[in-house]
Amino acid sequence: MDESRPIFVQIAELIENDIIAGALPEETQVPSTNEFAAFHRINPATAGKGVNVLVDDGILYKKRGIGMFVASGARERLVAKRRDRFQNEFIAPLIVEAEKLGIDKTQVIDMIRKEGTA
Amino acid sequence: MSAVVEASHLTRRFGDTTAVDDISFSVQKNTIHGLLGRNGAGKTTLMQLLTGQDFATRGEIRVFGENPVENSGVLKNVCFIKESQRYPDEFKPRHVFTSAPWFFPNWDAAFADRLIADFRLPLNRRIKKLSRGQLSAIGVIVGLASRAPLTFFDEPYLGLDAVARQIFYDRLLEDYGDHPRTVILSTHLIDEVSNLLEHVLVIDEGKLLIDEDAESLRGSATTVVGTRQGVDAFVADREVLHRDGIGGLASVTVGRLSPQDRARAAEMGLELSPVSLQQLVVRLTGSTQTETALEQSA
Amino acid sequence: MSTVTRTAPTEPLADGHDAGNRILAVVRLHLVNRYSVFAVPWMIMGGIFIVNLTIWWIIFASVTNESDRADARDGISYSGALFYIFVYMLVLGIQAVAYTFPFALGFSVTRRDFWLGSALTFITLSAVYSAGLTILAAIEVATDGWGLGGTMFASFYFGGADASWLERFGLYFATYLFFYFVGAAIATIYQRWRNNGMLALFGTLGLVLIAGIALVSFTSSWPAVGAWFDANGPSGVIAWSLAPTAIAAITGYFILRRATPKN
Repeated sequence: MDESRPIFVQIAELIENDIIAGALPEETQVPSTNEFAAFHRINPATAGKGVNVLVDDGILYKKRGIGMFVASGARERLVAKRRDRFQNEFIAPLIVEAEKLGIDKTQVIDMIRKEGTA
Repeated sequence: MSAVVEASHLTRRFGDTTAVDDISFSVQKNTIHGLLGRNGAGKTTLMQLLTGQDFATRGEIRVFGENPVENSGVLKNVCFIKESQRYPDEFKPRHVFTSAPWFFPNWDAAFADRLIADFRLPLNRRIKKLSRGQLSAIGVIVGLASRAPLTFFDEPYLGLDAVARQIFYDRLLEDYGDHPRTVILSTHLIDEVSNLLEHVLVIDEGKLLIDEDAESLRGSATTVVGTRQGVDAFVADREVLHRDGIGGLASVTVGRLSPQDRARAAEMGLELSPVSLQQLVVRLTGSTQTETALEQSA
Repeated sequence: MSTVTRTAPTEPLADGHDAGNRILAVVRLHLVNRYSVFAVPWMIMGGIFIVNLTIWWIIFASVTNESDRADARDGISYSGALFYIFVYMLVLGIQAVAYTFPFALGFSVTRRDFWLGSALTFITLSAVYSAGLTILAAIEVATDGWGLGGTMFASFYFGGADASWLERFGLYFATYLFFYFVGAAIATIYQRWRNNGMLALFGTLGLVLIAGIALVSFTSSWPAVGAWFDANGPSGVIAWSLAPTAIAAITGYFILRRATPKN
């Protein structure tokens, strides 16, 4: 758990990560708030808050008497949201760091090409 | 949400010393509160006042809406576990667990049995002969299994090793999830419990310094690290909580930073590191004046 | 929380008839360690009895002259052997407040419920112990001193050989109550005022005792004191002891009401 950000935000992100990674497929049940709380060793109210954020965002929904489920289309929506943030969260810091080290953009692009097989 | 505990201008003086100094706060139902502060800050005295074990010099207390002093209607729903609990001579742990249900209407014996196994507590050894950790375990087990709607834990984990402490936190969370109740926990080991807490009360020298949601405290302070020039420029118009440095490097703790502030810091080449709850409490309650050699970022 | 979990919030229970239950709970608390309140008193008594039995056997085996035997029997009838049994009740009273009170506070018991519950416990125990002693005294009288001419239970202080069982029971009972409440009251002084309180108590008692002795001596009233004891006899003195017992019972409560657990 990161010290500087609210825990419920981090819980929401962890669940989002699992959905994006495919560990929580759409229309499957997610663990209960208490299970999240016990697993991450956090307060159940906080875990509940994180889950509620995702419910408000339409990523999760509640089936009365059963529990929380991943909504259809959740993965797509999350991927789209993350793509929007990719530029600010990953690219911008990359460039700042590269500038610090005197690496210009062309060199950075070369590095990107070398990296990975895809 | 209703307030389970309400303290209003609570003061407790012992001769010349003021152990609790004009404290006012309220505790909401079914939350886990942390009561943090240094040794001798007044945490134990405060809890003793709230449970009717000690008497206030001034001020008012309401627990479940009534004054708790000598009030059996209120007190039967309260469980106060303190590390200095004395046991009758010749008592063994099994006597404690046999008698606890007579006083705590919600006592869960099956839960107590599981906890006794978890903490490996010898039921038939005289309490005088138990180790510090085993003694603490008795208190912890009573506090958990009592399921008292209002439960206080006053540093009950002295002597518990790290494994046993983790067992305590885990069982507390589990049980709290299934059977919510109001828990007030005082501790030095802030980082261990900071993720469990919903609300934080920090006491120093009898006064209430902080009374806030744990979540809003997170990120309420940040440490800015970089060249002295850069850091000084960045923190120029901000409240500084703590200054530290070595050589040409400065490390200054300031208040909450907005995303724009963070971006600006990044541009200036400054590093931002988070301030944990423990560090925050240490900063606020440590000696504020001089920066001694011992004053390092925790 | 909006997630679905089986939660059973622990609600504060309503009041009602629980008050009596709390007092009974205190009674049970005092009795939970059977050893101290049941085994030990009997062991003490058993031990003293065996020692006395041995002494009587030795005396009456060695003293053969009839008039000397009568003398010896008379002397033994003043036996204070039971004294230590009552002293143990003093110990129980002190322990009840010194040890069980802080523990009961830890179980969220009010001081009032504790004092009442403890009083109920030890009044009942006193009655039980007294009944036991009364029975033993009856056996002693019936067997003419356990077949050896000894006296321990039906001693001079507790009605001699002739008292009715009711009178004897009352004497034992009142004595037990005296030792319990005095012990408990002394312990409350420690709970409330700690060492300073104890110093003040014993200092004051010492002074009062010395002042009393001085007063009686200077007014040459020792014969009057002796006459008072004589006129009242043991039964009268024990009856008078009910006054300090009651005072101890009441002041003990008021002292404990503002006592706080030691940090």
